[in-house]
Amino acid sequence: MERTSSLRRLGLAFLPIVATAAILVVLPPIWFGDSPYTTSLAVQALVFAAYGIGFNLIFGSTNQLFLCVGALAGIGGYGAGILANETSLPMVAGVVVGTVAAAIVGGLLSWIAVRRSLGVIFTGIVTLVFSLAFANLLLGQRDLTGSETGLVVTGVPAKLGDDQVGGYYLFAGLLVVFLVVFRLLQLSHLGWAFRALRDDEVAAELAGVNVSRYRIYAATIGSAMIGLTGALLAYSAGFISPATYSFDRVDVRVLVLVAFGGLGTLLGPVLGATVFAFLDERLTESLELREVLYGVFVIAIFLFFRRGVVNAVVDLWKRLGGRRREPAVQTSGD
Amino acid sequence: MRAVILDGLVLGLAFGLLGVGMTLVYGLGGVLNLAYGQIVVLAAIVASLQMEDGRATLLAALLGIGAAAGVAVLLDLTLMRPVYRQHGEERTLLGLLLTLGAAFVIGGLLAWRYPTGTLYINILGDPISIIGVPMARGSIWASVIALAVAAVLLLFFGMTTFGRGVRSVIQDETGARLVGINPSFVRTVIFALSGALAGIVAITQGMSGPLGVNAGFELTTFALIVTVVGGLGSVAGAFLAGVLLGVVNSMSAHYVGQYYTTIILLGAAALTILIRPRGLLGR
Amino acid sequence: MLEVSGLAAGYLGERVIDDIHVEVGTGEAVCIVGSNGAGKTTLFRTIAGLLPAMAGRVVLDGKDLTRRPTHRISRVGIAYVPAERHLFPAMTVKTNLVLGAYPRRPDSATLQLVYDLFPRLHERQRQHAGTLSGGEQQMLAVGRALMAKPQLLMLDEPTTGLAPKVAQSAFQALEGLKSDGMTLLIAEQQVPLALSVADRGYVLENGRIRLSGTAEELDQNPEVRRAYLGVA
Repeated sequence: MERTSSLRRLGLAFLPIVATAAILVVLPPIWFGDSPYTTSLAVQALVFAAYGIGFNLIFGSTNQLFLCVGALAGIGGYGAGILANETSLPMVAGVVVGTVAAAIVGGLLSWIAVRRSLGVIFTGIVTLVFSLAFANLLLGQRDLTGSETGLVVTGVPAKLGDDQVGGYYLFAGLLVVFLVVFRLLQLSHLGWAFRALRDDEVAAELAGVNVSRYRIYAATIGSAMIGLTGALLAYSAGFISPATYSFDRVDVRVLVLVAFGGLGTLLGPVLGATVFAFLDERLTESLELREVLYGVFVIAIFLFFRRGVVNAVVDLWKRLGGRRREPAVQTSGD
Repeated sequence: MRAVILDGLVLGLAFGLLGVGMTLVYGLGGVLNLAYGQIVVLAAIVASLQMEDGRATLLAALLGIGAAAGVAVLLDLTLMRPVYRQHGEERTLLGLLLTLGAAFVIGGLLAWRYPTGTLYINILGDPISIIGVPMARGSIWASVIALAVAAVLLLFFGMTTFGRGVRSVIQDETGARLVGINPSFVRTVIFALSGALAGIVAITQGMSGPLGVNAGFELTTFALIVTVVGGLGSVAGAFLAGVLLGVVNSMSAHYVGQYYTTIILLGAAALTILIRPRGLLGR
Repeated sequence: MLEVSGLAAGYLGERVIDDIHVEVGTGEAVCIVGSNGAGKTTLFRTIAGLLPAMAGRVVLDGKDLTRRPTHRISRVGIAYVPAERHLFPAMTVKTNLVLGAYPRRPDSATLQLVYDLFPRLHERQRQHAGTLSGGEQQMLAVGRALMAKPQLLMLDEPTTGLAPKVAQSAFQALEGLKSDGMTLLIAEQQVPLALSVADRGYVLENGRIRLSGTAEELDQNPEVRRAYLGVA
């Protein structure tokens, strides 16, 4: 009896992921047709959803305000790209190096924040400083990175280009893998520690949770995810520049869409990325107006809507008296 | 070499005022105003529009400063209310996020309406020689104004009753309440003051060279760096840090190059946080 | 002068004090005694406006002060000296005192009065408040409150962190204030000291007024004696 019920719970825990995967698989034939433009938009959404899951792990789950998502992705991307151009190593090697480098940097930043007991403000400033310094480093190292003119990444299999269906499935697969990892973490001891940490750090510490260690774990895994995405993006786009990974382009968007979807939730980033992909499509005329809209969204979300859409939906479902879909494994946002 | 240092001082005085404006708001309410740079740009755009309309430079400048102060007060009375209701880290985080949102709204609107908006106040006349270095009149004006403002602030905070009241709120808010000071009112006034300072920076920067509509983010970054290095909440620290970093900026730009200069300044902020979080003069 | 009726207050929805009735007449010295956690500080904070009242009223000379913000209550004539004192550490003793008179300009006569009462403060007037000893900080806190020329002086556990001798002289100073006509409301754990100065008192236990009476009555009361004075 017990075995089946916990198997059932496990099944329910992964149901949303399976459903998402199913939707992702059938989307291209139904919708994109052969339009490279739509495909590349979809890939963009997937990329940001992937960034979002990494960010969700770092900020949503353990409250570390890392304002360097773009930079971490850039480490992955430029690491892979430079390796591809300067050496004859295969694509996989570049991706691995980029991912590991990002993971190390992210873990290091978290370790520093922990060692020096940096609060939210200082963590935010330090990571922002890192982000800007990294961008300037990219601009400064002309020979290696091509500065503003960017870097063309060689050795990319054409099928995986970001306007091709192959590229779409690459990132869709990546996203599903990330979702699974996130869910597994939530279900594991780490997930329990994360929740304790978010609710009340002092109490968690007293209960024996080594808050510092879990923070560093979360940061490392999250950064790895972000770096991996950035590295794959370099290959699939075939061309990267500092703008690809800048603070304005990446960090702000990720923050808004994850918050919109729901900090700390599984599908929040996916939902947020989808909604914002649509919004961006509608507002292609003016970059500045888009900026204004993001600003309004940030304000609105953090004033009125802090828990995000996913949590709002879940709350509504509970209120309507429906069965709780995932009893023990559910994570609520705030 | 002397030229580099003098240029650095001119820049540093502007940095200093920028830092003071930001650190005041932090010291009083625990909020880092990430929209600060955009408020500077707002003042610049308003002033340049007024000048295009044919108004006298002085009047245009005052209108720009007034606009900046006004927007700052608006920000305090609207977005900051929910922020002040929180405490501790919650307040800090919400303040960061809401002012970031405000930065995008203000910056985006300005860039959208006035994509080529630039403020340039050309002070005519030959360069004047200061200790053997020919300095553009605009830079001299900018420095004199900055120093005068600094002196006024010093008098204000040191000698006036209200200035003492401000310091008391920074040091112990409950104690301030107990002696009859309304922290809310003080915060609004200081927000207005920080806005006015932002406007003054816009004007003085406009005298040294063209100030464009997209400079907001960069200005906020500089303000942040100066505030952190000076010590969050320390007015004297921010001013000192500003001058020092201005000179560092100038020297490094001369000898090393633009991109690395920015990295050095950013590094100064990071180093301060990691090694001496209370900054130069913070408590 | 001060009438507290039916006052209730607390934190996070929970009432820490309830149904409090306290009266302080002009020129009287009233003490609130009770052990740690009885609610004395909560009561004082509520009267001073630092904590919003959940029920009841606080009235000063007919003016309803319930739910007024602290800075308004200070200006109306209630000076509150909390246990934590809340001095301005980076400002000199003199500046701390001067700020006590906010928003008015400091009255040099009152300043002299404070210096006469606490000569030590005069000696250390240029020293930063953060560098003073516990007893000196207490003196400064009281002095700062006096600069506002209050109608009512509220003191929360004035003997906190003070050596017995210093505590005694603190209460002697309070005696002096009282004989000059100041109205006092004092919260104290040290019952004998409190009763030595007070005309009347209230015993606060678990957030409610348990007993009230004149100082003599409380002193004679066997329950009070047993609980607080350790006498059978």
